Amino acid sequence: MRVDRCDFSGYKVYPSRGRVYVRGDSKTFRFLNHKSESLFLQRKNPRKIAWTQVYRRMHKKGITEEVAKKRSRKNVKVQRGIVGADLASILAKRTAKPEVRAAARAAAITKAKTEKRDKEASKAATRGQQQSQPKVSKQAMKGGKGGR
Amino acid sequence: MIGLKGLLNVIDNTGALKVECINVLKVKTRLKSTGTATVGDEIVCVVNKARPIPANEVVKNPSSSSNIQKIRKGDVRRAVVVRVKKTVQRTDGSVVRFDDNAAVLLNNKGEMLGTRIVGPVAAELRRSKGGAAGAGGRWGKILMLAPKVV
Repeated sequence: MRVDRCDFSGYKVYPSRGRVYVRGDSKTFRFLNHKSESLFLQRKNPRKIAWTQVYRRMHKKGITEEVAKKRSRKNVKVQRGIVGADLASILAKRTAKPEVRAAARAAAITKAKTEKRDKEASKAATRGQQQSQPKVSKQAMKGGKGGR
Repeated sequence: MIGLKGLLNVIDNTGALKVECINVLKVKTRLKSTGTATVGDEIVCVVNKARPIPANEVVKNPSSSSNIQKIRKGDVRRAVVVRVKKTVQRTDGSVVRFDDNAAVLLNNKGEMLGTRIVGPVAAELRRSKGGAAGAGGRWGKILMLAPKVV
């Protein structure tokens, strides 16, 4: 089904509605009703007649409220703390200068490294102690063959 | 709606500009003739206004040797209506209306006198069947020559 637009009012013209007017210069115009046709033949400008679609579009009628609603629905950015990090610490991290952050990172790395080294050293020490003790098998301890 | 004394513009190149209807020919297939002509109907008309024929042409060939026979004011001819101001209802429900009443001149056999058509013609001309033109119905030639069929 073909739905046309009225050439004056801009309303929809459904089949079997309205009238087609063919001008002398073989231009065709479609009108929804006699009101539109009459105004057209009176050479009225649809831009100056308040109820036509052209006028309403020109003067932004009927679309302002929708725009306002859309604007209000826009999501707003809010800063707040999340699990394990409160707002103050996040902000402090964000505002800190890159050099400071780099220094902090380096310090953290060295700390971690030293800790690891210490751990290793302690482990080695304990192992050494174990090795210094005489070897006694479990069976020997129980008084088996090895004990002889 | 062309009746007695109805004025029509002529949109072919016969030289006639304005004709006045003096009779509407009856259509045999129509049960009741309304006495008025609409698009596709044949009428008898008298030429009210014609393009002046250049004087030298009249002297040179008094019996028109050119294939287009020149039309003078006062000539009585047949014509077919191709546009009407009165609204025409179509089978698909649409209603079409033109700016003026217009006709194309014919000879007594029902063939076009001119060789060219200026301006749009109504698609109602397709409705009439038969005629010498063949496939396009009775007014096939007019539909073919017309720059726009509305």
